[in-house]
Amino acid sequence: MRLWKAWIVATKDLSMFRKNKYILYSLIAMPLLMGILLPSIAIFSLQTEAAALTAAQLTATATLLINLFTSYFAIIAAILPTILASYSFVGEKIEKSLEPLLATPTTDGELLFGKSLASFVPCVGATYIGAVIFTIIIDAWSTINLGTTLVPNEYWAIVMGAVTPLVCVLSVEANVIISSRVNDVRAAQQLGAFVILPIILVMVFATTVQTIPLVTMALILSGAIAIADVALFYLSKATFQREEILTKWR
Amino acid sequence: MIETENLTRKFGNLTAVEDLTLKVDEGEVFGFLGPNAAGKTTTVRMLCCLIAKTSGKARIGDYEVGSEADCLAIRKMVGILPENVGLYDSLSAYRNLDFYGRLYEVPAQKRQENIERLLKLLGIWDRREDAVGTFSKGTKQKIAIARALIHDPQVLFLDEPTANLDPEASKTVRDFILDLKKEKHTIFMNTHNLDEAGRICDRIAILKTKLIAVGSPEDLERGTAGRKTVVHLESVTDPVLAAVKKLSVVKNVRTSENKLIIDMDNPEKDNPQLVRAVVKAGGEVQFVTELRSSLEDVYLKLVREAEAQ
Repeated sequence: MRLWKAWIVATKDLSMFRKNKYILYSLIAMPLLMGILLPSIAIFSLQTEAAALTAAQLTATATLLINLFTSYFAIIAAILPTILASYSFVGEKIEKSLEPLLATPTTDGELLFGKSLASFVPCVGATYIGAVIFTIIIDAWSTINLGTTLVPNEYWAIVMGAVTPLVCVLSVEANVIISSRVNDVRAAQQLGAFVILPIILVMVFATTVQTIPLVTMALILSGAIAIADVALFYLSKATFQREEILTKWR
Repeated sequence: MIETENLTRKFGNLTAVEDLTLKVDEGEVFGFLGPNAAGKTTTVRMLCCLIAKTSGKARIGDYEVGSEADCLAIRKMVGILPENVGLYDSLSAYRNLDFYGRLYEVPAQKRQENIERLLKLLGIWDRREDAVGTFSKGTKQKIAIARALIHDPQVLFLDEPTANLDPEASKTVRDFILDLKKEKHTIFMNTHNLDEAGRICDRIAILKTKLIAVGSPEDLERGTAGRKTVVHLESVTDPVLAAVKKLSVVKNVRTSENKLIIDMDNPEKDNPQLVRAVVKAGGEVQFVTELRSSLEDVYLKLVREAEAQ
């Protein structure tokens, strides 16, 4: 696979996304909202409890709550690709540009990787913007009230550095596969939302398991998702049929 | 340049193309005519390695259509103008062409030169930075043709290049195809426009799932409907008609007002004998002309025959 070819496909899609304000707004809305809402909820809860807790207890409770909320950003990274990746091939079908694109000397892998990259970069970028806002607000509160910054911590680093991008890749791949097999954006988005449900459930389950330390759980989860990412990429290559896409699309 | 042998494509129980055998020479403009669902687009898609063949063989240049190893090479050497222009409306004309130029691996300098040359040739250079969505149908078609040519392909597949265009835009596209013909591109053109095919194509094939006929427009016009000589007289009289019917070279004769319409195999050789017989019988000859079937007549006749079989 020639990565530079995939990058050509990706940059074209990225410049098209940039020109579509509705996509941009819906992409940035959720991470922004969560970046403000989650720390606000955390601060409100902690302030309510603060009087009844010692400083050490408050720090421990705050860390627990913030770690839980940090996990939500990985869930956001799983949800956002339903906006972009679901459009990847359906968009080409709607613009009727699929035939000339498939006629170019580009392999299935290059096309799929390029389409995935074009969805991954903005989705993970928007998630990080939300996470940065979250971190700034939390740290501002903790510096004033606890005299220390709570994030980044070890768990935050693993979630942001590994789980979030890996889960985003998984969701992107699933949505790209769906996009190549349906003819309508709404169908792609609905099916996309359906397939990311198991991903979200696994994420929620992982954060609630008490028997394994959070950091260990995050590492296990990263490994499992990485394996799933690779498997899904090969599955998407195997199921990507130019002929079927061309002849079954009306 | 393009060769097919018993090329067949089936979709389940439906046969879209059956036993297609043809040869298109380098630098030739080859017209592919046929009614809707005749298999024209399926043939082009098979030749461009977009869909697989069910059986038979096809080659483009030195490459085997259907071979996994040769497909990328074939896609690189052919340019395709699909039925739907399929441009990115939100991107500029320049960006559209640049994107495809990069995918076709055209070096940056050459890509820039090609885009400038093609857009100037098609009269769109001044609007190169405008979003394609703002262009008329005809202009979009021109950009799609430029896209098909961005990598200087040896073979060009055009699917209905002037469909849905107004007469002026059609003429521009037609003239452009004629310019490409001068540059010795091999052009394979699907069309419903018989007049256009007759004017542009060196040879024409008529397809209705199977290949019905192939030849130059002139050969098809002559070969299918036979050749007719028309003798315009001051008046058609019984002795003149009888004299003409007596001639062994005359296959059939009918009258229309003051004209005799005569079927003959070789008018160049037999017309002098015919005229002599008419004059001898007292006919006053005003004109002698040839009545040719139009390509449309030929096409309709062949397609109806194929449908009846």
